[in-house]
Amino acid sequence: MRADKSTYHVFQNVAWMCSLAWKHRRRVLFFCGLSAALEILYQLIQLFLAPRILTLVEEAAALQTLLGTIALFTAALFALRFGRGYLEQIDLFARIDVRSVIIGLLGRKCNTTSYPNTLKPEFIKLRDVAHTASDGNQEATEQIWHTLTELCKNVGGFAVYLTILSHLDPILLLVTIATCLAGFWIARRTSGWIYRHRDEEEAYITRKRYIHRVAESVPVAKDIRIFGLQNWINDLYASVHDVYLAFRLRAEKVKLLAELTEAVLTMARNGIAYGYLIQMALLEHLSVGEFLLYFTAISTFTQWVMGILQASLKLHTQSLDISRVREFLDYPEPFRFSGGAALPDRRPYELTLEDVSFRYDGAETDTLRHLNLSIRPGEKLAIVGLNGAGKTTLVKLLCGLLDPTEGRVLLNGVDVRQFNRQEYYGLFSAVFQEFSILNVTIAENIAQNTANIDDARVNACIDQAGLTQAVAQLPQGAQTYVGREVFLDGVLFSGGQTQLLMLARALYKDSPILILDEPTAALDPLAENDIYLKYNDMTAGKTSLFISHRLASTRFCDRIILLADGGIAEEGTHESLLAAGGAYASLFAVQSRYYQEGREF
Amino acid sequence: MESQKTSVLYALKQQLRAIRLLHRICPGYFPTLFLYCLTAALSPYATVYCSARILSELAGARQAAALWTWAAITVAVIGLLQILKALFCQRKDTLLDDLFDRKDILFVRKMFSMDYASLEDREIQDLRAQLQQNEGWSGWGLMRTPQIFEEGVQAVIGICSGIALTVPLFLQPVPDSAGGLTLLNHPVFILLLAAVLLGISALGGRWESRVLHGWSSVRAEATFGNRVFGFFGFIGLHTGRAADMRIYGQQRLVDAYWNGNSVFGCDGPVAAAMAKARAGIYAGLSQAIFAVLTGLIYVFVCLKAWGGAFDIGAVTQYVGAVTALAMNVYGVWVRVGEMRTNCGYLDQTFQFLDLPNAMYQGSLTTEKRSDRQYEVEFRHVSFRYPGSENWALQDVSLKFEIGKRLAIVGENGSGKTTFIKLLCRLYDPQEGQILLNGIDIRKYSYRDYMQIFSVVFQDFQLLSQSLGSNVAGTLEYDRARVRRALEDAGLGERLQTMPQGLDTQLYKDFAENGVEISGGEAQKIAIARALYKNAPFIILDEPTAALDPIAEADIYSRFNEIAGDRTAIYISHRLSSCKFCDEIAVFDQGHIVQRGSHEALLQDSSGLYRRLWDAQAQYYVTESHGSDSRQGSMVPPP
Repeated sequence: MRADKSTYHVFQNVAWMCSLAWKHRRRVLFFCGLSAALEILYQLIQLFLAPRILTLVEEAAALQTLLGTIALFTAALFALRFGRGYLEQIDLFARIDVRSVIIGLLGRKCNTTSYPNTLKPEFIKLRDVAHTASDGNQEATEQIWHTLTELCKNVGGFAVYLTILSHLDPILLLVTIATCLAGFWIARRTSGWIYRHRDEEEAYITRKRYIHRVAESVPVAKDIRIFGLQNWINDLYASVHDVYLAFRLRAEKVKLLAELTEAVLTMARNGIAYGYLIQMALLEHLSVGEFLLYFTAISTFTQWVMGILQASLKLHTQSLDISRVREFLDYPEPFRFSGGAALPDRRPYELTLEDVSFRYDGAETDTLRHLNLSIRPGEKLAIVGLNGAGKTTLVKLLCGLLDPTEGRVLLNGVDVRQFNRQEYYGLFSAVFQEFSILNVTIAENIAQNTANIDDARVNACIDQAGLTQAVAQLPQGAQTYVGREVFLDGVLFSGGQTQLLMLARALYKDSPILILDEPTAALDPLAENDIYLKYNDMTAGKTSLFISHRLASTRFCDRIILLADGGIAEEGTHESLLAAGGAYASLFAVQSRYYQEGREF
Repeated sequence: MESQKTSVLYALKQQLRAIRLLHRICPGYFPTLFLYCLTAALSPYATVYCSARILSELAGARQAAALWTWAAITVAVIGLLQILKALFCQRKDTLLDDLFDRKDILFVRKMFSMDYASLEDREIQDLRAQLQQNEGWSGWGLMRTPQIFEEGVQAVIGICSGIALTVPLFLQPVPDSAGGLTLLNHPVFILLLAAVLLGISALGGRWESRVLHGWSSVRAEATFGNRVFGFFGFIGLHTGRAADMRIYGQQRLVDAYWNGNSVFGCDGPVAAAMAKARAGIYAGLSQAIFAVLTGLIYVFVCLKAWGGAFDIGAVTQYVGAVTALAMNVYGVWVRVGEMRTNCGYLDQTFQFLDLPNAMYQGSLTTEKRSDRQYEVEFRHVSFRYPGSENWALQDVSLKFEIGKRLAIVGENGSGKTTFIKLLCRLYDPQEGQILLNGIDIRKYSYRDYMQIFSVVFQDFQLLSQSLGSNVAGTLEYDRARVRRALEDAGLGERLQTMPQGLDTQLYKDFAENGVEISGGEAQKIAIARALYKNAPFIILDEPTAALDPIAEADIYSRFNEIAGDRTAIYISHRLSSCKFCDEIAVFDQGHIVQRGSHEALLQDSSGLYRRLWDAQAQYYVTESHGSDSRQGSMVPPP
């Protein structure tokens, strides 16, 4: 269930949206006002059109007057309908511009927020809700303009009609308003029900999407064929849709109740209006024109009242969503992103972990415990250990993606938290296991920029990473897009090629500290060996951290640390660790025994 | 799309086919929709007719009894229609919400039955992506037809009832006393009015179609824009990208593409194209033109009433009826235009659904043999991927020895995985033959042939479903056998710690209470699935790439148990795995360049195998720290 509480109230959210529009696309606001005005005028013309003409016919007025009046009304209707149709067609683009601004803000927040935030369930939840509120034309951040237009239109119409109807019995108006309020109360219950069940509905939709994605996925298609999974997936497909349909039928009942109540209320309203006006006609000799005028006016008046109520209801719901967007944008940042101490401007850089403990949010045990480590400038450090030993966590602490739960990470003796974090990231090049390659060109991916790309250096890095042949085969070479999510003529790299591309990117960045986390897992023996052979060149003059399950790679490093039980279990060179005969030696033995000649298994 | 050349009849035929397809998926939808259309189309006419009766009475005798009766009837009829409309409307909306996603089963079924080669074909993938983008972009394609149906049927019913209410307009003549106005009684006015009505509706419909066509013509820009929107606008939702995003400041690149591509904004190409097509003007005109029609109708009807043909109550009826009639004629025009435009999109949809299966499928059943004597042989097999000029495999001949273990090695891109895909008949070779017990595998029934293979692909997929279902591949399964398969695959201990045993949900994509599992555990579950299938061939493609040395050694040491008496094929970059295979096939650029046992291949000092082996083994064998003596007792720590 979704909480109804929100940090910002309706007026604040409307003001926020309006100020965004004012800053980026003023015409959004202008269109809202204009189309409300057009609509009120149009309704007024409609109101007087038939009664006025009927009266002229009834009174047998001069033909010229009759024809002139019709012509006048026709011209007015023509102009107003034109304006309405025109505005409806063109206001979309401006509204999308404002929503795009919000999506841009959300994206920036996601991509630059303090890294630990991206791991927090609370942050992720808020992030998803905020994005949902902006991911389509029907969502709050765009629909609010429609709602505001409706609100203006209905309030304006209400005021105008109140003056027209002012000399009718006020009881009639009060009764009309009362039936509207009753209808509104039911409608609000319905929309409350729907809002309260949105999480439930989203869960069903997520499941539908998941099964659908699986059913159409090409990698799954192989398994489907080999293991005959068709029936299983068909069953799942049917069941997720049946569950959703059952939910929709429940929602239908709630909605139907409101609709039926509304129908009964409409009957009551019509009955009262007819009763009142027929009485007037019989007793006070109301003319046909007047009768029609008042009846239309009462029905339309009802529409205004209902319109105001419904628009405020919608505005309230949309305001809740917009509030989520703002809460997400306001989400506190534990990292420092402005000001701070100046980075030491020249090498050497020395990194130190001082009594560092780290525990992931919600975890029951520490991943790392009271760990001390000092990395000398220019040192090549290998980090080994079993899956889950905390190797990746350790490098994330060093490069400032995570902050320790206890203890400090120091750069040349200064706590990393003192620096502007974005500047600090400039010191690192990294190849992580979880990566982000964008659907931009190869050159842009490597240079991480769209402008001022040093092509010669891009090519040198491609060459050094061993990707030259693969890139040369592409018709557009390094200008080819990577992936096909946006540009359909992009290249799909294999796992091994992607690793090499990431390596080239790390080399291009040429930062003083290089982090390689399992960079050769998907490579064949020759390509892997090629990287090893170049390792000294790549890391010349840099500090480097190398994580690998391939213990062969560790011997290029000055020092090896073996992580186990949240700490450094062993430390030394390849030779010294083998000689010590501890955990490292046994890991190495396990891996190497298959390479020993003459051994049988 | 090219609506100019599409005949209306053909367009109608395509929509009907779409309706039939959708009707089969949800049989209740179209009947409900029809009932809704009926009530929705009749409502305005009922209102016009009933209130005209009240006004006529007011303009005439003003009898209280008649007035009250008509008022009661009006209120009741309008109320009843509103209730019926609400009932049908809610139900059709519910069913449409259901149908909207459920209809994708058409594509899912097609993809299940399609040749795997087509599935990997880029053109076909693009076509499917295009269909989805058409739907995302103002809903063209299959799901446009319910909308066309709804509005088309309403318009047709509206026209019928409109005509019924309009007929008396011409039957009631202007009395002779009105002098010149008796001219209006001339039948030519029927034609004139019909011509004006048709003409204006047609003009409005045409202008509206131009707008629609404008939107359709920017499809390429729009679908591209949607892709940019989806990728760069929502890239922040991918948690896995977060580390690189920060270290490489990727926001810079995202900004460049996001801000430079505001396809849908005021300054974007869509708005420009729509401005060029004067979409705003035409949209305005198509609405405004009806004011002219209303004016003309008023003139005609009022003149007749002024001349005394009928009372002013009837004026409202005729004006209301003719205006509604005109709107409905206009509706039909617009729907025809929409149908023609949608026809192009439907053509694409059916092109996909009708894709022929090129693969020959025989009917021979494979013998069910308990002794697993299935002998498979590659004979001079060559293969290239569709659209590629290079041979992925060339003149490959190989005979699998029953019950033996074969290792396949080679560089990235040398054809190892392609070889497996041919073996499992995911593709058919262009040259040569693959034989099962001496008979070309194309002659067997596809499903039967698939029965003899279990494959753990490099990119194997587990579903976010229960552990047991994943192993068995069905909702209901033999729990004891599944448990045994998991134990054999080495997941027995982990199974003990699973909160709900076999019913534990894997991953959180489907249910929030799912359990995240490591890569190694997933690997073992995939192997358990292969074991559960109990096929005579078992194939493992790079099963240890992401594993630490202990987990890798665990798989190695289990390999013999896993393979049992099956014929086993093991693909890996970790050449250590070749040690426990009986034979090794070395692939290089689509050829098998070497075959033999590990010892024999190592003898060939210039061979590729020796190079591959040395590249990896040098780091492990040159050491002589006297560790040999201890290796026998080396038990890896858990």
